[in-house]
Amino acid sequence: MDAELIAMQLFSGVALGAILIMVALGLSIIFGMLGVVNFAHGALFMVGAYAGLWVASLTGSFWWGLLIAPLAIGAFGMLIERVLIRPLYKRSVDDPLLLTFGLGYVLVEAVRIVFGSDGIPFSTPPELAGVADLGIGFFPIYRLFVVGVVAIILLLLWLGLEKTKFGLIVRAGAKDPQIMRVLGIDIAKVWLLVFGLGIGLTALGGVLAAPMRNVNPEMGSLVLAEAFVVTVIGGMGSLVGAVVAGLLVGVAISMTALFAPEMATIVMFALMALVLLVRPQGLFGKPGRA
Amino acid sequence: MKAPLLSVDNIGRRFGAFVALEGITASFEPNKVTAIIGPNGAGKSTFFNLLSGVLAPSAGAIRFKGRDITGTPQHRFAHLGIARSYQITNIFPELSVHENVRVAAQAFRSRYDIWRDRTGMTELDDKADAALAAVGLTGKRGETAKFLAHGQQRALEIAIALVAAPELLLLDEPTAGMGPEETKEMVALLERLAAERTILLVEHKMKMILGLSDRILVLHHGRLIADGSPQHIQADPEVRRVYLGQSDGYA
Amino acid sequence: MSASTSSIAAGMPGQAGQRGWRARLVAWRVPLSILALCLLPWLLPSKALAVNVLVYGLVAVGYNLLFGYTGLLSFGHAAFFGAGAYATGIAIGQFGVPWFAAVLLGIAVGGALAFVIGLLSIRTRGIYFSMVTLALSQLVYYTALQASSWTGGENGLRGFTVAKLDIFGWSIDFLDPVKKYYVLMVFAAAALWLVSRILNSPFGAVIEAIRENETRARACGYDVERSKLISFTLSGLICALAGTLSALHLAIVPLDILHYQTSGMIVMMTLLGGAGSFFGPFVGALAFLLMEDVVSLWTSHWQIVVGTVFILFVLFLPKGVWGTLLAWRAGR
Repeated sequence: MDAELIAMQLFSGVALGAILIMVALGLSIIFGMLGVVNFAHGALFMVGAYAGLWVASLTGSFWWGLLIAPLAIGAFGMLIERVLIRPLYKRSVDDPLLLTFGLGYVLVEAVRIVFGSDGIPFSTPPELAGVADLGIGFFPIYRLFVVGVVAIILLLLWLGLEKTKFGLIVRAGAKDPQIMRVLGIDIAKVWLLVFGLGIGLTALGGVLAAPMRNVNPEMGSLVLAEAFVVTVIGGMGSLVGAVVAGLLVGVAISMTALFAPEMATIVMFALMALVLLVRPQGLFGKPGRA
Repeated sequence: MKAPLLSVDNIGRRFGAFVALEGITASFEPNKVTAIIGPNGAGKSTFFNLLSGVLAPSAGAIRFKGRDITGTPQHRFAHLGIARSYQITNIFPELSVHENVRVAAQAFRSRYDIWRDRTGMTELDDKADAALAAVGLTGKRGETAKFLAHGQQRALEIAIALVAAPELLLLDEPTAGMGPEETKEMVALLERLAAERTILLVEHKMKMILGLSDRILVLHHGRLIADGSPQHIQADPEVRRVYLGQSDGYA
Repeated sequence: MSASTSSIAAGMPGQAGQRGWRARLVAWRVPLSILALCLLPWLLPSKALAVNVLVYGLVAVGYNLLFGYTGLLSFGHAAFFGAGAYATGIAIGQFGVPWFAAVLLGIAVGGALAFVIGLLSIRTRGIYFSMVTLALSQLVYYTALQASSWTGGENGLRGFTVAKLDIFGWSIDFLDPVKKYYVLMVFAAAALWLVSRILNSPFGAVIEAIRENETRARACGYDVERSKLISFTLSGLICALAGTLSALHLAIVPLDILHYQTSGMIVMMTLLGGAGSFFGPFVGALAFLLMEDVVSLWTSHWQIVVGTVFILFVLFLPKGVWGTLLAWRAGR
């Protein structure tokens, strides 16, 4: 097996990991702040992909889809939080989980009604088609682009969390929601925004993934399981954990695909089982939360 | 001096870099009431969590009836003869008052049996009723626990601990959140209980502690700074220094 | 779980202020359910629907032992349901095992899988537990997809039609839907009896205590992890039995039986009927499948209706149909 092939496969793992990071980060941010596991997260990833597809076909440009779809789905996420999830905060932690599962069920069927049950191909935008020779091998330009976009988003998120007042509130609130009450911050508004942000991230993941996969109503269901695996490995509520575990899982999948293709879909679950045995709270999770 | 029921030898507990408790050495004789006091964050709850097995100490050893019990899983503690109540009321909210205590008694009879009928175990019903009578809840037997008044829920929690017939009873702020009337009733209950078992309690209400305890331990910043009779503690200059002026001190 | 009251799980036996009618309902719950199951095929529009209600009702009953009574929200029970079905199908189709032995084998395989998945997932708590059970059951799904020489992969498992059942020299025509229903019902009745037995037992009190307050149960001297694992395994065994019945009934095992959407369907049925009540899961399965049956008459997108109804239940009737009925009767 030559080094070039391995390098290419490694890179394709990073690109896959980048998408997983977007989904898992959204999941983790929402959980960290609201204590809600969003079981509709995969469905909203899928809705994001369809929204991107739809906007792109209306405007004739992938770029508008990439920009508008995450914002629109993020806003839709805020609506979900406001109408469906907020009434459940005082109840058992299981209730929002059950509700979002039902919501995912409804969203998948709604997309089937609007766009049909069959997959829709989403072609790579012409500006990003083709491959680039980086000296160590040929890499698809679109995947380089995906990794670049995710890196920029991560940088922006990091800056937003570390340097802005909103970020300060979010970080403090994730550690101890009581603090926000003491400081007189309107928690409801913060939660609304955080939920929207988390959903926006997964929708962006969906749009970015669209040209790499077939867009179909079931595409979210695999992603949800993948995002859970990433979150469990990385540690629930840990943003660093989501990034590291996302890359780890992406690379593990693509490397297994190279050496033992039939194991590719199974390897991430095996990784998760291993982490559970050795460190149930996840690589970056705090003990006690698990 | 009698053989100690419980002794801790240089125990401590860290959470990462944070030292919650360090170098505590003490032994406790049977049938005495000992109060643990200290300002908020002094390590009282951590101390209790170590003694009841919720946490394992990161240093030192715990001995109960001469046996080293360090690192024993929490659920074994009830079987050793150590029972506790919690600072925040900790009961089975949807179960009846009687069932709350009955299920606690059942832990010593049957834990995994699926072939018997639970209603047939009448001796457990009797034990539960006796524990309820001891805390004065006989009249509330059939009510759903979550509908009890706060003071009654605290009493129920003590009944849950009592039905285990523990030799050592650990009570974490048994009068937390209670008004004067409820507190008075609780103190009377504790006095009755103190006659025949060893009690350790964490409390903030000084008047109550001075009246009830044989001995007081003072924790401050995770260390034991004083240990002695109530009179001794009241006179201790260091205790006065850390304690006086604390709003939650001599309440 | 914290000590906070779960709005989902409520309305259990051994409860406070139990009135006479309620105690009688508990005492007679097994004969009553068997009676209802006997009448079911004659009350529903089709015999096939009745068998479906039987199979899914049984899965939901098994699941309810864990979710409703132990308070653990698993999203992985499709794995045990599916494992039972696959093991039975493979045993009959590829090894020519007699049907009864194949049923036992299916239960054993599903139960063993539940034990292993339980062992791993019970190391985590709360919301984490739901995610881990979902992920581990997807591992089973993808394994079955890959092992297509055994399982038939995406096409599902076929070729093990049981046309006749031989029981102590009798031969029963298993293609006759009514006879088939009653044969399967015998197994379901046995499982219902077992669940009722567990709930009446001291162990039943232990799992209820764990659902109510895990910390307290541990302080009382119960090994919470071990009790959860036992409950998880028992629950998995009953779901596995339902799986074997489903395999015998359909004579195929679709791959989707293992998908977490099936787990979700089990969760929905249990909640719709009423988690933590004995009759709830069957009521829920009946309601779910009836909705599917009726709505599919005018649209193939019945899932959007069922999903919406489910969301409304979580929001407004978290005790489910049966649980709400019980609470309403008790409140009068």
